[in-house]
Amino acid sequence: MSDGLVQILDGNTFVVSDGRGDIESSATDPTGLFSFDTRFLSTWVLTVAGTRLTALSTDDLQYFEARFFLVPGTGTVYVDSDLSVIRERAVGDGFHEQLTILNHRGTPAELDVRIDAASDFADLFEVKDALAKKGLNKSIVEGGRLVLRYERESFVRETWISASAPALIDEGGLSFAVTIEPHGEWTTDLDVVTAIAGTGERREHPKYGRRDRTARPNMAQNLEAWISHAPSIQCDWEPLTGAYRRSLVDLAALRFTTQTMPGHALPAAGLPWFMTMFGRDSIFTSLQALPFVPELAATTLRALGERQGTRTDDFRDEDPGRILHEMRYGEMTAFEERPHSPYYGAADATPLYLVLLDEYERWTGDRELVRDLEFEARAALRWIDEYADLQGNGYVSYKRRNAETGLENQCWKDSWDSISYRDGELPGFPRATCEIQGYVYDAKTRAARLAREVWRDPEFALQLEGEAAALKRRFNRDFWVADGRFFAVALDADGRQVDSLTSNIGHLLWSGIVDRSKAKAVARHLLGPRLFSGWGIRTLAEGEGRYNPIGYHVGTVWPFDNSFIAWGLRRYGFRAEAARVASGILDAAPFFDGQLPEAFGGYPREMTKHPVRYPTACSPQAWSTGTPLLLLRTMLGLEPVGDQLVVDPALPSRIGRLELLDIPGRWGRIDAFGRGRYET
Amino acid sequence: MTRRIGVGTESPTDAFFGELAARGREPLLKNASGAVRFDLVDGDAVEHRCVTMRDGEIAVSHKKARADAVVRLDKATFDGMASGRTNAMAAFLRGELEVEGDVGLVLLFQRLFPSPPAGATSVGRSAKRGIP
Repeated sequence: MSDGLVQILDGNTFVVSDGRGDIESSATDPTGLFSFDTRFLSTWVLTVAGTRLTALSTDDLQYFEARFFLVPGTGTVYVDSDLSVIRERAVGDGFHEQLTILNHRGTPAELDVRIDAASDFADLFEVKDALAKKGLNKSIVEGGRLVLRYERESFVRETWISASAPALIDEGGLSFAVTIEPHGEWTTDLDVVTAIAGTGERREHPKYGRRDRTARPNMAQNLEAWISHAPSIQCDWEPLTGAYRRSLVDLAALRFTTQTMPGHALPAAGLPWFMTMFGRDSIFTSLQALPFVPELAATTLRALGERQGTRTDDFRDEDPGRILHEMRYGEMTAFEERPHSPYYGAADATPLYLVLLDEYERWTGDRELVRDLEFEARAALRWIDEYADLQGNGYVSYKRRNAETGLENQCWKDSWDSISYRDGELPGFPRATCEIQGYVYDAKTRAARLAREVWRDPEFALQLEGEAAALKRRFNRDFWVADGRFFAVALDADGRQVDSLTSNIGHLLWSGIVDRSKAKAVARHLLGPRLFSGWGIRTLAEGEGRYNPIGYHVGTVWPFDNSFIAWGLRRYGFRAEAARVASGILDAAPFFDGQLPEAFGGYPREMTKHPVRYPTACSPQAWSTGTPLLLLRTMLGLEPVGDQLVVDPALPSRIGRLELLDIPGRWGRIDAFGRGRYET
Repeated sequence: MTRRIGVGTESPTDAFFGELAARGREPLLKNASGAVRFDLVDGDAVEHRCVTMRDGEIAVSHKKARADAVVRLDKATFDGMASGRTNAMAAFLRGELEVEGDVGLVLLFQRLFPSPPAGATSVGRSAKRGIP
């Protein structure tokens, strides 16, 4: 909980309040009740006898429930309070709140209880950018409830507020004239419903009612089932076991269900602001989680396949066959002030989609899904060749067609200054970043296998293998920075090398596009002093023009980035190096209670002694959550080969013994063991 | 109900369904199985188009048949989608479409709507429709 804020959520509906349970948001303050990227309550303030309350304690019961114990008054006045106030809140299709007041006096208590309620119906994007509303906001008392209504043409969002106890309802909230017997109590249910016309999301009541009357899922029990379904770990190194358990718990909270596939979840990108489908994030996280919860990958593949681009649409940067970048549901998206319906501006999500499809089949043997998605896979391959080669030079590059609200950098390092020459200058567009070429090489190689073994199209397989081999040859010639002995981060609009040293070269090892003869030099850079901080590999090497140890993509260490690089190091046989990266990142985990942040500072480890968190709003973040999972895989050297799981451990020496039991896959369930060998 | 014949007078909606019926097959709908009915509101009149999809085979009728998903919208909105001027997902989020039943089928079906006309989409809807 940052800044004393309390967050509870159910799918993409969530409440952010203060420790008293109150919501008092300004235009830019990210508190409120949110659903489908819209704020449905911006004011929700409880007063008793005209005074605000003070929190004695706040419990997050389960991630969709919270309980606030309060007393009237502020500051130290409450010490002698003879009233207690309890708010129990459960989110889901709005929220339900049970408000209870206990009178501890020997005399009756007569109280005015008041809830102030209002909504600005801000779009999440407006909360971020502080923009003004264009529609009409009304507050109506009708049918025994308070209706907050926002209307812009046919776009209607409503918040319905009602109470079970007799209330005087006005346009600004609900008042209760309450009399409580000596040592008695008073209680009311408050229902807050988020109503969206026409989208099948209209409900009469919130998902949960009063605790004693409506059953609630026992999330603790669900969570235990989720965890026990995943492989179990036995290890004498606590940072690893702690991070593993935390990852499974966080991954459960990040599960996002789309309207089209009820009952099936894919990983959303982060809580709570990125509780939606992202191409890149959902794919990377599904890849990390494959050996543990393979069903996430299946849902990701189906959901992204359903929404694959079919049109040429400049506003959305959409092309036929392209896999989406981000989906949003709010007003600005609805009125095309933002392009997220969905937005397709990612150049890597499409090849990564093919990588995930193949990796999923290698683990699970689920050929039915690969057959079902043959059309989508072929369309993705066509996108690579026909739409993404913007310069006609055989490389995938990107340049946004939506110059106003599209993304400039359509790779995972998507901030404005992430791609630079050594001297810090920024290249023009289009840009062909190196790791995307690696993903394309991998995608074609893997698609060739699927074409041969599943789609029964050996000719297509040969064609893809030929293209991949040619790409590899060209790439090793055109991207190789001879004087530095590493690969350029990109080619610019003139085909010139963008020659800074970056972590992107680690993804090249993962994809397999690097010539054997060049791999050693790449690994040396990755573990060398300019890139390796001691905790992990920096996004940009020390000494480059834009290097900044706390710059978002220009010097920080990203755990997810490191997990894929460790996979790449293993792929090329750099066992000790992979163990060193895994051990550095996992060493950092206990500083964050096992929950790896999105990024931390690139300061040398010996300088700070502890990893410095890069401040971001999202926690947990999906691909950081997936990082310990992928590191477990790389340390144990888990690799599906045919119907077998090969185990080839390369563990840091601080681990005495590691057992991962019941790893699911096409082999049924299998255990893996390893002992630490590599000094790190 | 009579269907107007002739390219010049045909609405984009009629042209869209006519062409779809003539095609009979559509690989984009290979994974769709079921029926989607569109209730097209034109003033006081409501027209129906029911599209049955199975393994990529498509049949179109004008009957108010039972369907797995029913989409109610102004015929003018459908004209916009059928000509590529209106994005179906954005229209759905704006509340211009009411969807009942299997949302997934409708999501697959919207793949068939054409690209926006060249030059119409680079700045989004406000410029496109000229609405203040």
